[in-house]
Amino acid sequence: MNKTWIVALEIYLRQVKSWSFVILVVSPFLMLAVSLGVGYMSATSGSNTDKIAVISNNPALRKQFISTNKDDISQKVTTTNTAKRKVADDKLAGYLQLSVTNQQVSARYYSKESMDSSLKLSVENFLNKNQQALNVQNAKLSSGQMKSLSQQPIFKQHIKQSSSSNDIVKIASFWILVFVIYMVLITYSSVTAQEIASEKGTKIMEIIFSSTKASKYFIGKITGVMMVILTQILVYIIGGYVFYEILRRISTFRKVFDQYQSLIKPIIGNLLNVNLVYLFLGVIIYTIVSAFSGALVAKPEDAPKAAQPAIYLGMLAFFLTFPFQSNATGLVVKILSYVPFFSSYFMPLRIINNEAGALEISLSLLVLVLTIVLFAWYISRIYEGLILQTDDSSFWKRLKRGLSYQS
Amino acid sequence: MLDIENITKQFGTVKALNDVSFTVPDGQITGLIGQNGAGKSTTFHSILNFLKYGGKITWDGEPVTEADFDNIGYLPEERSLMPKLTIEQQIIYLARLKDKPAKVIRPQIDDWMDKFAVKGKKTDKIKSLSKGNQQKVQLICTLIHHPKLIILDEPFSGLDPVNSDLLKKAILEARDQGAAIIFSSHDMANVESICDRLVMLKTGSVVLNGTIGEVRDSFGKSEVYVTTDWSSDQLDQLPHVVKVTHIRDQRYLLRLDDPSTGPEVFDKLTGGHYIQEFSQQPPTLDEIFRMKAVTTHE
Repeated sequence: MNKTWIVALEIYLRQVKSWSFVILVVSPFLMLAVSLGVGYMSATSGSNTDKIAVISNNPALRKQFISTNKDDISQKVTTTNTAKRKVADDKLAGYLQLSVTNQQVSARYYSKESMDSSLKLSVENFLNKNQQALNVQNAKLSSGQMKSLSQQPIFKQHIKQSSSSNDIVKIASFWILVFVIYMVLITYSSVTAQEIASEKGTKIMEIIFSSTKASKYFIGKITGVMMVILTQILVYIIGGYVFYEILRRISTFRKVFDQYQSLIKPIIGNLLNVNLVYLFLGVIIYTIVSAFSGALVAKPEDAPKAAQPAIYLGMLAFFLTFPFQSNATGLVVKILSYVPFFSSYFMPLRIINNEAGALEISLSLLVLVLTIVLFAWYISRIYEGLILQTDDSSFWKRLKRGLSYQS
Repeated sequence: MLDIENITKQFGTVKALNDVSFTVPDGQITGLIGQNGAGKSTTFHSILNFLKYGGKITWDGEPVTEADFDNIGYLPEERSLMPKLTIEQQIIYLARLKDKPAKVIRPQIDDWMDKFAVKGKKTDKIKSLSKGNQQKVQLICTLIHHPKLIILDEPFSGLDPVNSDLLKKAILEARDQGAAIIFSSHDMANVESICDRLVMLKTGSVVLNGTIGEVRDSFGKSEVYVTTDWSSDQLDQLPHVVKVTHIRDQRYLLRLDDPSTGPEVFDKLTGGHYIQEFSQQPPTLDEIFRMKAVTTHE
């Protein structure tokens, strides 16, 4: 196997098997699960007091009503006496007696308070539908007459999405995206810088460099980190999808999803497009800078300080986006959307606001990819000198000596 | 065979290597000695291409390139492994970087651990091992891929006599298999006991180079070990004896002003009678090292 791949696989397996990675990947899902669980519990706790019982001497009728109103009905209660007792004890909101007498469908509701309006509408619809079916049956109509009577009016709503909901989509997409980029970037910058700094001047690096070229080792290392980042993004996408599908099957959340469908879908769309490529490439370029700064520390003990340059640069780009969150057309945004280190924040901002065409996006991506390749190539060439020299002098002296170590 | 021809290396104003030349033949052990800062590690780093240098280093007549790395086993001066890996993972990872597949190396690990008497299981983490055992694991990593060129920087430092013997045995085994071996050491007894050749560096320059016998003989047989009932004062009165050192009991070391005067001293001391010991020898490597460290042999 190619030695670059051996290094990449070792780095990848070591990192994904570590507890810190597992916690990093699982924690957002755990937090989401806990917060949704708490929300669900509070929404459903004491839910019986909102439910009603349905009592009927006609089991088919009762079953039919329950099948269309499952969420509002406590199915266990089947007798009037039990229902009365539970209403008295505030364990049921009320009970509905359904009956068919003399070809007439009737419903009587017993409660301390009037029926919830949406349930009331549902009851009225149910009664109308059943009464109509009985009426048709009693009238003994021909098939043509039946067809005429079953004709329904048409009612359709054509709602133009308001600009305010569009704005919410853009702002929400922007914040989610920049925060995800920032968090992932900070995490990987620290991990990479600290790992490389901890190898600085150690003899294991001499052993490794007596087996493969430092440039191959560096590229392998960055490839390994890239694979870890890809794994994390993939876990988030797959995990997020599974979570979404599970929640959609829970009626409490389904209602929320249905209600905010017009917001949720475009936000997910904004996150799962070319912006994901910017997230990935952005993290890569910051990781390479972190690797460089990690290799420049004076000694392994300084590892915690190693990520600072990359983190400060990341923070600068992150905070710089704030004034422009609702001004994606500004000249500064346009310029920075092509500048590596900043483009990962600013081009997604333009994309979310539909302010960037395919050509502009391609050009910005090309600049970013070329910069990454150039950086990786240059640092891989001087990596051996940076890593092997141990010189407890000033930063600039270390840089100079590292660059000239091979000359 | 490793050929080092006229290599030079300068760090700023410091000349770390100055026209260094020597060879490391196949199937032989070359000891590289010198005081701290003499240029031993810089020589090793130059062989391994960690540094750019002036001059020429060739392996079997060709410059050392990445393609030769798989045939090199290198043990650096300080010990360092990857603490989070297990013994097995560490050995396999470094062997794979030497182009040896895991399936070839894995079955050999137990034998190598026995050979070096490593205490622990191969599933133990490196960080859980004692310093001595970590050093042994590192030696296994250096040798398990059967390198043709073995570079050992201070391999005996920190090892007790029992473990030193295990290492010597492994080095001699590699030599018998035809490997060219170069190692640095401050312990002249180790150098003398297993080296075929010796190179001494002093402030970046070669001051001694040759087989152990050649180097010692170049200093002349100016030392005589005697076991006699004569006193130290009596021995001091002998002609051509410039220094008497009492070793123990009736054993003394005499230094002669001229090696050719040995027979004359023998006659005076024995008077034609039996003497338990009269052994005329060149200086030991330890004495040569001390002499050379102070001044350059003319």
